[in-house]
Amino acid sequence: MTSQRSELSGSPSHTHLNDAGHVPLRDYAAIGDGRTVALVARDGSLDWLCLPNLDSPSAFGSILDPEKGGSFSLCPEVPFTATRRYLLDTNVLETTFETEQGAARVTDAMLLPGSGLAPDRELARRVEGLSGRVPMRWRVEPRFGYGSGRVTIARHGRTPVATAGADALAVSAWGAGDPVLDEVSISAGFTASPGDVGLVVVGSAHQEPLVFPSRGEVESRLAETINFWRQWVAGRTYDGPWREAVIRSALALKLLIHSPSGAIAAAATASLPEQIGGERNWDYRFCWVRDSAFTLHALMQLGCPHESESFFWWLLHASQLTHPLLRVLYRLDGGERAPESTLPLAGYRGSRPVRIGNAAAGQEQLDIYGDLMQTAWFYSVAGGRLDSDTGRRLAQIADLVSEIWHRPDCGIWEVRSEPLHFTHSKIMCWVALDRALRLAEHGQIPGAHAANWRTQAEAIRAYIDERCWSEQLGCYVRSPDSRELDASLLLGALMDYPARRDPRMTATIAAIRRELGRGPLLDRYSGDDGLAGGEGAFLCCSFWLVDALARAGRIDDATELMDQLVGVANDVGLYAEEVDQDTGEFLGNMPQGLVHLALINAAISVGKGRPA
Amino acid sequence: MNIWGAIAGGFVGTLVLTTALSAAGELGLTRMDLPFLLGTMVSSDRSRAKALGYAMHFVVGQLFALVYFGIFSAIGHSGWWLGAAFGLGHGLFAGTALVNVLLPVMHPRMGTASSAAADRPLLEPPGFMMLNYGRRTPLATIVAHVAYGAIVGGFISLAG
Repeated sequence: MTSQRSELSGSPSHTHLNDAGHVPLRDYAAIGDGRTVALVARDGSLDWLCLPNLDSPSAFGSILDPEKGGSFSLCPEVPFTATRRYLLDTNVLETTFETEQGAARVTDAMLLPGSGLAPDRELARRVEGLSGRVPMRWRVEPRFGYGSGRVTIARHGRTPVATAGADALAVSAWGAGDPVLDEVSISAGFTASPGDVGLVVVGSAHQEPLVFPSRGEVESRLAETINFWRQWVAGRTYDGPWREAVIRSALALKLLIHSPSGAIAAAATASLPEQIGGERNWDYRFCWVRDSAFTLHALMQLGCPHESESFFWWLLHASQLTHPLLRVLYRLDGGERAPESTLPLAGYRGSRPVRIGNAAAGQEQLDIYGDLMQTAWFYSVAGGRLDSDTGRRLAQIADLVSEIWHRPDCGIWEVRSEPLHFTHSKIMCWVALDRALRLAEHGQIPGAHAANWRTQAEAIRAYIDERCWSEQLGCYVRSPDSRELDASLLLGALMDYPARRDPRMTATIAAIRRELGRGPLLDRYSGDDGLAGGEGAFLCCSFWLVDALARAGRIDDATELMDQLVGVANDVGLYAEEVDQDTGEFLGNMPQGLVHLALINAAISVGKGRPA
Repeated sequence: MNIWGAIAGGFVGTLVLTTALSAAGELGLTRMDLPFLLGTMVSSDRSRAKALGYAMHFVVGQLFALVYFGIFSAIGHSGWWLGAAFGLGHGLFAGTALVNVLLPVMHPRMGTASSAAADRPLLEPPGFMMLNYGRRTPLATIVAHVAYGAIVGGFISLAG
């Protein structure tokens, strides 16, 4: 069945590129409920939703294949322009469609469960007529199991239901037309006039009977959901610069937090390409240890004690499975297996393979030990107490780093070429031992092996200074004796390696900006990574640059760059992983947690660096 | 044949039945969730309903075992195979009259074939042999109930 995506949509500020059923990634906004996230396009089509959880197979996945993926469209039947926003301080999306016949407003939300019996997951789309008479049409075309499930559409009682194996969803509609069922979809048309309120609700169930909600309860839960988000934002303590962007980033991160465990997914999607038509398509619906220090720092600075506490202990519990080794990533439920496979889908704008799972889970990356120890250090500095078992485990991890820091690894960027001695990895090994020494000095972990940690830290520093510094280029380089630069070295400045405002690190910041920068954007690195093709500019690197400039005392430069980067967000304040340096289009998975984390931390650093 | 065999068989049989249906759900064979169906009779809180539903299911399992015991006593025979035959009948009854006729009368939140979205949330009606909960639900239900019946019948005969 061909996608029914409208060919007519557009907005005054943005021409809608409807490329074989795909829209630009910039056109997506995210809604969620702490368990899963849906992406809704500007043209009203919901093109990505995994059920029941963020890392479950998709029920709506037309973003990866308009033919097979499934979608939930809702828009005027006539040509329209669309503008949208999040309701203030919420993750509830509001899209206003303007047509020649009039205007209508659609409010989209994943509803949070209230006190009563509610569907397992519940998506509400509320349509209000604003002016004139707008002919509207909606169509729910689910495809469970990434499009592989055989869907049966039928009425159970009088309610339209789509089922496939242990998954099902029910479509309830009030004031939104009489649903018509065919073999693959449930759809209806209606007219939105001023005073009319239509409501289409998709409730899902996994391994249990569906719950058919009442309209009153849905309206009530929608109001409660809006209220929840506003109260959550009201509880945040951030009062620094770029508050609007920081709060939107916090809300985006909250969407990525898996509420049962506290784990934070790197992004809500899988296999959105880093290059259109390219092979760099990865599943980011896992929690990376690499992001942990940024996560804890951002959550603490935003005043999110519950989220930071949950995340920290989730990380320690998850990593216990593989102690003293760390996996690069863990599943949101704490599991360590993430086998990578490909799906028979067309891919976003033909970008194949479409991968789920992530083979990086099996890589050796030495930098993550530094991230974990830095996370523990942040926790300690904030007043957290480590129990004796945890302290002993962290000390054993420091012992491990003392033994393995000299190995080559795949590095922070998870290269699929031969392992190398990445400078960034060595810096993070130094960070691991330095933070272990600090934790031992504060009595948080046993310090019996502190002398060895100190000796090894000094050896790492000597290695970096002798082998990873280029006199010719006047900066640290990607790996010993290379001439390549790597934006991850900015993290050395963020981690105060080897000390705050170190002259060599300051020179490296300047070199990275000069050699890898294009306007406000930065490439990740120069050199080979074992994959074909290129990629866009990696947005978190640009925010790290802001952070590094601020820490180096260059507040004016940092502010100017930050202003530019805030302007790179899409119309609702979200970021994908990368942006095309030429066209400004988003690339990669979205919304991308690391970018939003980097934005928050950069804003905090600039705020701290400004004169009081 | 004594009543302790029925009580022990009812406990073990219900444990096996519940586990088998839960495994069927994990395997994607069915969306039927008996504890959820039973628990939502008394609570609209999802978590509480499931916990209560498990307790109720064990009580119901014991009551059915006592009914089995009564019939075995009346006819003077018991055993694994006879129990399995009872389980087959029990499964058919559960999939038809019990969930489609009796449950909607007793269950304040159970939908029926004539239900539309009403003022209060309703559970999806099960349909004939609970087919609404998946095409393989009848198979899973009957296999689980046959196992239950065989265990109850076997325990009663062993306790004889």
